[in-house]
Amino acid sequence: MPSRYLLRRLAQVVPTAAGLLVLNFCIIHLAPGDPAVALGGEHGDAAYYAFLRARFGLDRPLPEQLLTYVSNVLRGDLGTSFVHGRPVIAVIGERVPATLLLVLTALALSSVVGVWLGALAARHGRRLPDVTLNIATLLGHATPSFWLGQLAVLALAVGTGVFPVQGMTDARNPGTGVRYLLDVLHHLALPALVLAANELALTTRLVRTGLLEALATDYVRAARAKGLPEGLVIRHALRNVMLPVVTVIGSRAGMFLSGAVLVEVVFAWPGLGRLLLSSLLARDYPILLGMFLLISLGVILANVITDVAYAWLDPRIRYH
Amino acid sequence: MRRGPMMVQAVLGCVAVWSLGLAPAMGQDAPVRGGTVVVAIVSDPGHLNPAITTSGATHAASELLYNGLLGRDERGDPIPELAESWQVEQGGMVYRFRLRDGVKWHDGTQFTASDVKFTFEEVLLKFHARTRASMGALLTGVEAPDDRTVVFRFKQPYAPLLYQLDATEAPIIARHIYQGTDPQTNPANSSPIGTGPFKFVSYTKGTEIRLARNPAYFKPGLPYLDGLVMRIIPDLSVQVLALENGEVDFLWELPGQLQSRVKSDARFQTARTGYHPGGSNCIMTMSFNLDRPILKELRVRQAIAYALDRQAFQSQILFGDGKVAAAPISSEIPWAHAAGLNMPRTDRAESEKLLDGAGWKKEGDGPRTGRGVSGVPDGTRLAIEFLHFPTFAKYGELVRQQLGAVGIGVTLKPLEPAVFAPTVFKDRNFDSNVISYCNGPDPEIGVRRMYHSSQIGPAPFTNAAAYRNPRVDALFDEASRTVERDRRSRLYRQVQEIVVQDLPYYWLVETVSTRAWTARCSGFKAWTGLFAEGAFCRR
Repeated sequence: MPSRYLLRRLAQVVPTAAGLLVLNFCIIHLAPGDPAVALGGEHGDAAYYAFLRARFGLDRPLPEQLLTYVSNVLRGDLGTSFVHGRPVIAVIGERVPATLLLVLTALALSSVVGVWLGALAARHGRRLPDVTLNIATLLGHATPSFWLGQLAVLALAVGTGVFPVQGMTDARNPGTGVRYLLDVLHHLALPALVLAANELALTTRLVRTGLLEALATDYVRAARAKGLPEGLVIRHALRNVMLPVVTVIGSRAGMFLSGAVLVEVVFAWPGLGRLLLSSLLARDYPILLGMFLLISLGVILANVITDVAYAWLDPRIRYH
Repeated sequence: MRRGPMMVQAVLGCVAVWSLGLAPAMGQDAPVRGGTVVVAIVSDPGHLNPAITTSGATHAASELLYNGLLGRDERGDPIPELAESWQVEQGGMVYRFRLRDGVKWHDGTQFTASDVKFTFEEVLLKFHARTRASMGALLTGVEAPDDRTVVFRFKQPYAPLLYQLDATEAPIIARHIYQGTDPQTNPANSSPIGTGPFKFVSYTKGTEIRLARNPAYFKPGLPYLDGLVMRIIPDLSVQVLALENGEVDFLWELPGQLQSRVKSDARFQTARTGYHPGGSNCIMTMSFNLDRPILKELRVRQAIAYALDRQAFQSQILFGDGKVAAAPISSEIPWAHAAGLNMPRTDRAESEKLLDGAGWKKEGDGPRTGRGVSGVPDGTRLAIEFLHFPTFAKYGELVRQQLGAVGIGVTLKPLEPAVFAPTVFKDRNFDSNVISYCNGPDPEIGVRRMYHSSQIGPAPFTNAAAYRNPRVDALFDEASRTVERDRRSRLYRQVQEIVVQDLPYYWLVETVSTRAWTARCSGFKAWTGLFAEGAFCRR
């Protein structure tokens, strides 16, 4: 029963997330660095830093801090940010939509365009379009996203003025309604492209390799012999190729989030990535723990979705 | 107890300050009303209450919403703000301020002396690191005998107070908003009510803060702009690109490597200042751990100073900006800065001679070897561990390169600020390091902590060298009690003469901030947090 399987998979999320919660807590608190210093700046006296540590409970023994944290999480309280002075859930919640928009757009872009380009390359196997795409995807996969971002800004924003350099909206003329949506899309284009580039290249290469292999199999030869149009042949073959592609896309959800950190900094995109970076530098433990939990859950969820997608792609797969 | 004004600085402030505010500070054009300016800031402040933090991010984003009792002019000297005049009594033990009449909070409530008393007693002295550390132990009370008078009483004469009352050091917040609440979690921190030239409109986390003109601002006619947007752009290079693309109008910090490009572009204007809301008048300073046998020896410290070419630090790291430090106290505090001191000049031969004399001999390639050096086993290599923030990696590289040339081995150890501070100040686990020591508006705030023996650990960014000199301690103590500036000036000169001889630190370069803005706008005041109070833009 897929629904029973799904429930069992979701039930596995709980102990995994609990384990990660404790592990994240220990790693963050055992790492060197004093949040009181990061928060208090450089001009305080010893009493001031002691006051800050006591205020945030950092002067208590680590096991006691862990117990307090876990019991609070069980009650749905992820704590209060040291820096923002507001509940962690609220601070993180404000950033989720921007990151989701960026990551999902990039994911959709890299998956759809990647599959299409992969099919295109395979169809023209070892001819000019294939070779061109091969070189382009090799470069795309090897280029770090922060550098690609800088290049994109220089070439497509400053050079031409076609795209804005930064932000999610126009600071000078914030629109409303449809104008706002169009403004966001205009600002989204470059960061989404840059974030997608790496994964797009990988997906293209995977699809191309898989398809080239599939197109050489007997069932494809038979289909062609029966006079099936080439487009339909590709579609049949593609379905078999998609299984490893979906696995890779699902397993790289975490990579997308880490890529988002860099892209969000380069494009001043107001998402979780930037919050993660600033919280790391400020040793804002509650925010960091909340984000690690969120990211962990996101990756686990992506894996569950991947598993479910298998059955849809390959009816032979049954869940037990 | 002796009473009566010893020094009266009764300032007929209204006319003076309004003329200061109304004059286009950096522009030549007649002011134009209206328009919105977009300002790039580096990080999301998290909240907009500058009274509970010294964070540069919060102060840069929020000071235009508030005022201090006093402001600061271009030289950093105090000028009237919420207080229109003041008197210093009992040799500096009592300060009496007369507040401006008719000042209103952004919600229409009357501003009174009780707001000042509340801000100091309940907020600044608890949460603002600099105010708490500098005057917390000495302030006996803040009184508000009537709505327009505030009196500060100290245990002993306290000289720097007038330099600690601007919106950076002591922004005044509203008692009626904060009383009876936790100032760190009060919702008003995200939707603030101040007295400043701009009112809060919205704060989109991670994106921007929008401000609008305060039509009831107590300086008539100001501000000129209708609104201001603080746009959060973490990368300084992207900020410059956004300026060039016309997406922002004003940058707090123009990075050194891009200065020539922006300065040569007629579309932009720039101004340099030692002021920064996170810490003013900073000197990149190399500190020597005097507890370590190698660096305890004065000749080794002198040899390091002679080996370093500080001009290279200025040209290669600051791209010609800033200046080579000419004294231990920043030249941006001109009355305390000791000009004409005999600082070591680059002289590699002299450096090698000093090392030879100290027992560190050249034996083949690589670092020198110790022979007969006190506290060091014979055969020890002359090698030191040099700690720095990752952002100061270039300083480390130059130190390693230049000291290597005279036979001192340097191992670089980059550490994040939150790790660097306990390693250096609590564990004292280092030989040498580079720290951006910000002197602040008065040496009592940012200089004393480096040299006074009472400031040796564990608090961060204090006396990293663990320098102990009773004469220097006494001079600092006397300077802190001396209100008369000429006398203080002489005391600080003596301090600087002594520490240049003792070399517990070596002062590399003074760093400055370069602001940049679009040339169609004028009137920015780079030296204060109220930088856009008198700004205006041509359409």
